Amino acid sequence: MAIKSLGEYNFPSRSRQELYGDDQLVTVWFQDTMWFCSPAMFRAPREMTWGDFKAQVFVPFAEEDPDFDPSAPRAWTLHGKPFEPEDGRTLSELGVRHKDVIGTRVAA
Amino acid sequence: MTLAPEQKKTKKPKKLSMKARYEALTRGLDWEPSYVQKSEMFPHLDYEGITIHDWSAWEDPFRLTIDAYCKYQAEKDKRLYAVLDGFAQGQGHLNLTDASYLNAMKVFLGGVTPLEYGAHRHFAYLARHFAGPGPRFAALCQSIDEIRHMQTEIHTLSNYNKLYSGMHNWSENHDRVWYLSVPKSFFEDALSCGPFEFLIAVGFSFEYLLTNLLFVPFMSGASFNGDLPTMTFGFSAQSDESRHMTLGLEAIKFLLEQDEANVEIVQGWIDKWFWRSYRVTALVAQMLDYMLPRKVMSWKESFELYFEEQMLGGLFEDLAFYGIKPPRHVEDAIAEKELLSHQVYWILYQFSFAASFTTSAPTDEHMDWLSQAYPDTFDKHYRPLWEKEKKNIANGGRHFARGLPQLCQVCQIPMGFTEPGDPTTLCQRESEFEGEIYHTCSNGCQWIFEREPEKYRQAWLPVHQIYQGNCGGPSVPEVLEWYGLKDGDAGEYLGSKDHQNWVAWQGEAAADTAAPTNEKKAGA
Repeated sequence: MAIKSLGEYNFPSRSRQELYGDDQLVTVWFQDTMWFCSPAMFRAPREMTWGDFKAQVFVPFAEEDPDFDPSAPRAWTLHGKPFEPEDGRTLSELGVRHKDVIGTRVAA
Repeated sequence: MTLAPEQKKTKKPKKLSMKARYEALTRGLDWEPSYVQKSEMFPHLDYEGITIHDWSAWEDPFRLTIDAYCKYQAEKDKRLYAVLDGFAQGQGHLNLTDASYLNAMKVFLGGVTPLEYGAHRHFAYLARHFAGPGPRFAALCQSIDEIRHMQTEIHTLSNYNKLYSGMHNWSENHDRVWYLSVPKSFFEDALSCGPFEFLIAVGFSFEYLLTNLLFVPFMSGASFNGDLPTMTFGFSAQSDESRHMTLGLEAIKFLLEQDEANVEIVQGWIDKWFWRSYRVTALVAQMLDYMLPRKVMSWKESFELYFEEQMLGGLFEDLAFYGIKPPRHVEDAIAEKELLSHQVYWILYQFSFAASFTTSAPTDEHMDWLSQAYPDTFDKHYRPLWEKEKKNIANGGRHFARGLPQLCQVCQIPMGFTEPGDPTTLCQRESEFEGEIYHTCSNGCQWIFEREPEKYRQAWLPVHQIYQGNCGGPSVPEVLEWYGLKDGDAGEYLGSKDHQNWVAWQGEAAADTAAPTNEKKAGA
């Protein structure tokens, strides 16, 4: 259903990718703990490697949970499907788009 | 003896009845334009698809006249200001249960008071743009009520502003601070609707369906916690709310009666605005269960009484006559009543370093109250989190989130709600519109987004804006400065400025009223 309005109603998104330059928004969702009240959103370069993203963005945030174990193997998801990141590849190479949500849990 | 001629009894001028005076007051308000088209004079009346055959069929059930209105409101204001004076002069703030109680009022001041002002403006706009003298005058009266509510709320709470933190910059906070984007976006969504949708959004869904959930718990909470001024403005406003609720109800019945084709449009608005209003009342849920030192009733009890019994059990049974069904997604709200307040407070607790209020972990006694109020969920899902946090605090690591939360594109609350039927899995709904991804926190918000994606893609989401560099700078101190927060406004309550002052003042108050010692007596 389109918006009912007096005139034409078509304005760009206020969160579109181009507003972030070479960066994009990436969300991390901890799926096996409720310690974090909601998934956390970060701004990261599209060309950042997964290894850097993990070390510089993910781990410093995750450490807020006193039970976080950085050495534990983790399972990852993207769009609800298993996702296998590789440390040397960039976020864009791995298919992580602007505002994507990366799910994570300690691997069983 | 001469008898004086019998004097003719002069007749007193006949006093008109209230109904007759109202008719005289609104007479001629509905004129026919002579040099412009009616559609030019009232451009908003058609485009939403609502059909009105006879505007004169609308009757204002209150039919208040200006003089009667002013007389009632002046009496109420006199009472309120007498209470405010007495409270201030008698240092009444020291009789609150605890300074932490005022966090609920800080949420109210920043979250609700600006909405009153928005309602004032828009009802004035409706008074101009509606056809028919009845709706016009009713909208005008409501507009005056709303600005009066805003004024009395500011006056009442400014009394506390002299002594406590977090209330000095509420108006700018409302425009900028992340959690206040929840009520702000709700109301601006309504303001940018057509006139009939606004009336259903605010006059019906918010005022009628949920105002009891908003006002009664806040004001009962104030009364239970020694806050006489807030209780008084609450009752003063509440007596207007009953008139607003009647306006909302009369509006919906009028629309439904005018044309059968209106039913489907109105149903869509009820479905949308129930869910949007319900998400805003999540602030009340956490207030009842966590922010009040002395509890009134739990959110769950409050929801059952005011919404399930009174609205679903009463109102919607009446509206079924017109073909109106209970709001879409209401079953999700009912299922969530066991979880809502805990999830929302857990969010506020972690992000209160960037708010105009403080938070604290619940004490053991408080947790026991939560266990008995929520026997099926608190001990299982939320007590373990707080127990873990207690250990964390003991180790010096009070939990403040380091990152920024993902926000719902519609309600703008951090995505902390869980899947219907599964309290251990956060709910993630993803929609794509013209190649861009948007996330929502629930079935209700996703349905709203997908109905009008052109509108919600414009949402000013605080987290996105911070990352775009539009909120003062990239670091937390820069953002807090841009918010207009000052030392003492935010963070942990225990050890805060308000807490320290409270302890000191209570000590002084106790010393002032303590019985004189023998030594003093001897020296007297």
